[in-house]
Amino acid sequence: MAETTPSLTSSKTERAKPTERVQLIVFRLGDEDYGIRIEQVKEVTVTPEVARMPKTPLFIKGIANLRGDIIAIIDLEERFRLRPEGRPVPERSYTVAVEADDYTLGLMVREVPRPFTLPLSQIEPAPEFVQDSSTRDKYLEGIAKLPEGGIIIVLDMRKLLTPSEVMRLPGKMASS
Amino acid sequence: MNKRILIVDDSFYMRTMLKNMLTDAGYEVVGEAANGAQALEMAASTEPDLITLDVILPDNTGLDVLKSLRQIQPSAKVVMCSAVGQEVIVTEAIENGAMAYIVKPFSEEKVLEIVGAALQNGASEQTA
Amino acid sequence: MKTRDQEYRELFMAEALEYYDSMSRHLSELERNPNAGPALNELFRLMHNLKANARAMGFTDLGEVAHQLETLFGLIRDKEREFSGALIRVVFAGVDALGSMIRAVGANQPLPDATALLHNLDLVVRGEAPILEEEEAAETEEESNRKMELSDLVYIQVKKLDNLLNLVGELVIDRDRIMTLAQELDNPALLATAQHLFRISDDLQYSVMDARLVGVGVLLNKFPRVVRDVASAEDKEVKLTLSGQDVQIDRNILQIITDALLHLVRNAVSHGLETTENRLKAGKPPIGELTLSAMTERDDVLLQVRDDGRGIDTEAVRRKAIERGLITAKAAPALDEQAVWALLFEPGFSMAQQVTDISGRGVGLDVVKLALDSLGGQLRVDSELGVGTTFTLVLPTSIAVKGALLVEVNERPYAIPLMHTDTVLALHPGQISIVGGVMVTYLHEQSVPLVPLRQLLHDEGDEPLPSAHKSDIEGTQHVLVVNYNSRRLGLIVDRFIRQQNIVIKPLSKPLDTIDLFGGVTLLGSGQVCLVLDVPALSRLFLTKRP
Repeated sequence: MAETTPSLTSSKTERAKPTERVQLIVFRLGDEDYGIRIEQVKEVTVTPEVARMPKTPLFIKGIANLRGDIIAIIDLEERFRLRPEGRPVPERSYTVAVEADDYTLGLMVREVPRPFTLPLSQIEPAPEFVQDSSTRDKYLEGIAKLPEGGIIIVLDMRKLLTPSEVMRLPGKMASS
Repeated sequence: MNKRILIVDDSFYMRTMLKNMLTDAGYEVVGEAANGAQALEMAASTEPDLITLDVILPDNTGLDVLKSLRQIQPSAKVVMCSAVGQEVIVTEAIENGAMAYIVKPFSEEKVLEIVGAALQNGASEQTA
Repeated sequence: MKTRDQEYRELFMAEALEYYDSMSRHLSELERNPNAGPALNELFRLMHNLKANARAMGFTDLGEVAHQLETLFGLIRDKEREFSGALIRVVFAGVDALGSMIRAVGANQPLPDATALLHNLDLVVRGEAPILEEEEAAETEEESNRKMELSDLVYIQVKKLDNLLNLVGELVIDRDRIMTLAQELDNPALLATAQHLFRISDDLQYSVMDARLVGVGVLLNKFPRVVRDVASAEDKEVKLTLSGQDVQIDRNILQIITDALLHLVRNAVSHGLETTENRLKAGKPPIGELTLSAMTERDDVLLQVRDDGRGIDTEAVRRKAIERGLITAKAAPALDEQAVWALLFEPGFSMAQQVTDISGRGVGLDVVKLALDSLGGQLRVDSELGVGTTFTLVLPTSIAVKGALLVEVNERPYAIPLMHTDTVLALHPGQISIVGGVMVTYLHEQSVPLVPLRQLLHDEGDEPLPSAHKSDIEGTQHVLVVNYNSRRLGLIVDRFIRQQNIVIKPLSKPLDTIDLFGGVTLLGSGQVCLVLDVPALSRLFLTKRP
């Protein structure tokens, strides 16, 4: 008897999700829009003072103090080679702090990132053949085509943030 | 108005899980009590619509708490929570006015179903 | 934005450890008084909660063991079973198993198998006799080590204290800023408040550090058994003396140093002390003396392992080091005694002639050095042939606060722990000579190689550093002489900033793989400052010297 419940028409909530929605934090890299699922984002902040760390690849801008946590700040434009010629990193940039399993990384972006909600169905998984071509495409969850035109490239941080990925360019190659 | 729920469980882990489930479903969790004394105190001060009550508690058994709760807050529906293995107590609890029984580990769906049903049952009694 | 699952997992762990700790406490009460009602009730409740939580987390076996124990304690409480005889052993086995399972969950490892235990619990619950293995021999060393472990509840507190310590570190930084501001504004009321804040946060910092301290005895007291075992395996007679058990040290430091100390003690018994026969031949008392002592020296804690054995045969070590390729036959004769002894702690060096099952486990004394390096500690060796050897581990009292010297290179500050610094020098170009492409100066009649820190930090690639030329040396050179494993190295920096106590934060992933940096500290200005790891710098210099 123990597990029975009062015999009422159960108001069993219709919790099925006909249109599951995804919330992204969207930012620009180069001339493209990129997004990360909000669950993978810890916070967005103005980039704190970054101390360059010797013996690290160039796309690792350095380390910064984020509320007492010392985190690595990385520059995805540099990493994916998306920065147009002659466009330096602006004086004031923003950092999207993203969480890996047991550490946090900061992604430096040039403009204020903004939240954006869209139906999951709008994200098309990246085709297989794209996935193993260039560095950037390896980390794609998919590409969102917006009704009003334009696309958002959705990154999967979990693939990007493995330590071997982050450090895959050893320091000694940075001079090459 | 959102239905107001008081959670009584001596495990912080369980309380957190229940609270998340109930809050996500739109209920208002008005308090969390970790033992019988706290439960009675909070039941009196918060006047919840429903109380989830763990059958094994540190100071009193859940049953004693149930009996006192029925006295001080008769309008509150009580749903017992327990891991399997203590069915005897649960039977007694139902006899003492508990509305339903949730078996740990519980699924979110099950919890909402039982809580929803218990609350609705109460409402229909009152309006009848 | 931590996920719910992560949060649940952490809550589960924290509570499970707490439950486990209380279980152990109530069990020992039950051992004294088998009818202790409150203890039985508590055990019943704790098992019940652990079961429910474990099941919710999906740890079926853990839930099952807790379930059976819950039932069993219910039966004991209702006087249907008695807390005695074989049942006690099964209960203890059960609670031990819960402990290992919880630890496995915490370490993200697969849970140990519990089939046999569950079967026994089932038998006992049904009132049948459990199947117990023959009276186990005296507990294994592993078990005895485990019992010596600091309790898991403390582990949780340490984690929380780490957090607290970080916060205090932050507070101290802001405090220093406020202090500076108050002085600039020259407002007496503000200044007085700032000074008060200064004192309070100082006290707070020390309180947090103090809460992490434990007596060295926790570790030392586990050695009588170790020594007895090793001595009997080696057929030697050893008298062990312990002292300084009350000396206080950070609990994490003690944990990190445990293996190193075990290694030194085993080494002392199996290689340091002679057999009774050889001792008598040498005119020594038949029983070997081994002393383990702890003492404080300034802010450091010294742990000493002293034996009155045969002492280090310096020439044998020298020969062996050449054999092992650790030094060249040409360089070997120039090394002094200390430098030769330091070779004992190089990876790949083992003096054992034959591999015994006690200390010849394929690892050498290099584990000692590694543990010390990770703590920023030092090793001192003192030995006299035929008389005995003393190894001294110099450890920081607290893991968190270290004295450091701040230096500047390329307009960035770097911190170097004082533990590894010898002296600072201001050298004229005339005091520097070039030997084989390396700058060298003479300090107390010993040559010390010099290298610009800038080069060590910023030269990329594996190629050797460029050869130094006399013409490159312009003006006064600011040199910090560091010391690692009895080797000295002069680091040329742009300038010295100041000496200061720093709170070192470890580098988090993925940057923790760069061993050149021991961590990070935040300066009063809020500036991030890398802490240099002297052992790694020394090694880098050795591999890259021109």
